[in-house]
Amino acid sequence: MVRTLKNLVVLLVVLSLTGMLFAQSQSEVAPVKEVELRWASIWVGNDSKAPAVEALVAEYNAKNAGKIKVVIEPQPDYNAYEQKVRTSLAAGQAPADIFTIKFNPTTETFYQSNLLMDFSKVMDGQWKATFDAGSLQQSTVDGVLKSLPMETAILPLWYNMDAFKSVGVTSVPKTMDELYAAFDKLKAAGIAPSSQMTGDTNAWTSMIWFSHLAVSLGGVNVWDKPFTDPAFVEAATILKNMITNYSTSDAVGLGAGGSGGHFLAGRTAVFSNGPWYAGRADLAATPFFDSIKIGSLPPAGDTTDFMISRLQANICAASTKDKSREAAIVDFLQYLTSPASIARISEGSGAMFAIKTDYLPTKSLQKQFYESANAAKTTSFDLEAALGAEVTLEFAQQLGALALGRISAEEFCALVDRKIER
Amino acid sequence: MQATGTQNRTNWAGRILFLLPVSLFFFFFFIYPFFFTLFTSFTSWRGIGAMKFNGIANYIKLASDPTFRKALGNNLIWALCQGFIQVPLACLVAIILVRKPKGWRFLRTAYYLPNVISTVALAMVWVAIYNVNGPLNAILGKLFGMESKNWLGNPDTAIFAVIFQTVIYIGYFMIVLLASAMNISRSLYEAAEIDGASTFQQELHITLPMLRGTLVTTMTLAMAYGMRHFESTFLMTGGGPAYATTTMGIDLYLKMDALRYSEASTAGVFLILLGTVVITLLRKLFGKSDPMSEMAQ
Repeated sequence: MVRTLKNLVVLLVVLSLTGMLFAQSQSEVAPVKEVELRWASIWVGNDSKAPAVEALVAEYNAKNAGKIKVVIEPQPDYNAYEQKVRTSLAAGQAPADIFTIKFNPTTETFYQSNLLMDFSKVMDGQWKATFDAGSLQQSTVDGVLKSLPMETAILPLWYNMDAFKSVGVTSVPKTMDELYAAFDKLKAAGIAPSSQMTGDTNAWTSMIWFSHLAVSLGGVNVWDKPFTDPAFVEAATILKNMITNYSTSDAVGLGAGGSGGHFLAGRTAVFSNGPWYAGRADLAATPFFDSIKIGSLPPAGDTTDFMISRLQANICAASTKDKSREAAIVDFLQYLTSPASIARISEGSGAMFAIKTDYLPTKSLQKQFYESANAAKTTSFDLEAALGAEVTLEFAQQLGALALGRISAEEFCALVDRKIER
Repeated sequence: MQATGTQNRTNWAGRILFLLPVSLFFFFFFIYPFFFTLFTSFTSWRGIGAMKFNGIANYIKLASDPTFRKALGNNLIWALCQGFIQVPLACLVAIILVRKPKGWRFLRTAYYLPNVISTVALAMVWVAIYNVNGPLNAILGKLFGMESKNWLGNPDTAIFAVIFQTVIYIGYFMIVLLASAMNISRSLYEAAEIDGASTFQQELHITLPMLRGTLVTTMTLAMAYGMRHFESTFLMTGGGPAYATTTMGIDLYLKMDALRYSEASTAGVFLILLGTVVITLLRKLFGKSDPMSEMAQ
């Protein structure tokens, strides 16, 4: 027994010494631990920004080999991704080290979370100066900047001028009367004038139309007014007319895929979407691609020369007490949001960003977006960006009822109004 | 006596050991979430930040919410259609197939096949079928000269269009009923035949009474599914147009989507309680015919 105990003690001592020596030698030769950052990226797959983003990450990883490694976690399904962000934050966990959100009054709630890094504490003046000041201001809530404005967008109308020319209209209509006249000609020629939809959670393309109409009728601050304001009622009346008389017969209940599909197939002559759609291969393959003109909806009211815009994607980072991880996140985001990186992403995709660059696209369609944005004297948010997800959902749901004549424009506006938190 | 006591203790230890894994799962994946949901339903909480206790305010809001009332009505339509259309259809096919007509094996597989196809794929196929320019309108136009309809875009037809594409997939319940029907002793049918009973009389007086227990179970399952329906409708219509196809599950999801977690929790609690009440009522209604009732006795 005593002998066994002695043997055990000797064994323990030997093991301890070996362990200590091993630990010492490890501390002497151990390299600096590589920081791995997970980026839940929506710019993957068919997204027009994917190739440039992937190339930038690969170059960053090569440059920082052994120190920082950024791993892209692909999030090709945007709705599922948004759900993941919400549930992760509600469960007390950041969805990844770096992730994006659509910044609006609903997602502004995320700013209450301690899981998000406050960039106002880590941003130096030089980095801050690269951002568009207005976008930074819009992303700041009570002095806190928990998401960086990244992708921005203007939401103009897309005119298939080949279709317009086929009915003798050679330029983009400048007044509503001209628009109606052109639409009547298109309709007579068997072409549905506009892509409209009431499906999905935001009735996307029709929501853009409504935003143009409402701002023109009620001014750039129209979203501050009650939804029962005559400007909204008038906008709803015009939109109903567009859906019932100047769109495809399946517009009620149609989703964004269907709405875009009609335009791509040449079944509709006017579409509405952001610049990210310009980089799509299926759009470039259409016979009318070169004829597409980007512009505003002719003014329905007194407000003119404006453009509908939004913060399309803001970038967030997980807060951390680990200083090396925090430094790595900041370093990567500084690289990603540098004018050089942004110019490369813009070039490949046509997307627009809240980071100032000298970049001007060479491709005609992308160039038109920049020109439209620059030509606008002022901008105003779209309905979703201004009033949030719940109001937009109600808008989409009731738009179908409005289009089918189940409710009046006044009732439509009253129903949407009850969802606005005041 | 001492030996018996030790044996009892060992038996109990064994039982606990066997029950422990599933009990832990049940606790962590049902009991805890349920009480958490119940707790949050009495608060004002947006999923992030502090919860504020607000009593029964969410329940009052839910009761006066027209969307939720519409969703409740839609779920009842779903439950009734599934229980009283889908299951009887499945029963009819099972009764035919149990007599093993020519090609019955192929038909059995064919009827069950949609149950192994992804709900997403089926929903997308049906969206195309129901499209204004889709095959359904083309067929109806050719056969009856009907004008094209926007089946999913019209609040009058949308709910029945989405229910139809689920109710016709009878495979799952058909297989259950077929298995049960195959266990009915052939001697009963032989005796009935000797007594001069027709095929219809045999089905009416032998097959259906013998299937009653399985029918009750399948109806309960079908109606419970109808009460919590979500997937295909959400994929096909998103609950629209004008909430015409919204179910309580979709309403709950949309509340979460708008970061109204406490209101979504309230809807969830209501959904659980309603499901429990419906199933209890069904079991009471069918009494001893329900094998689950017999097991409970």
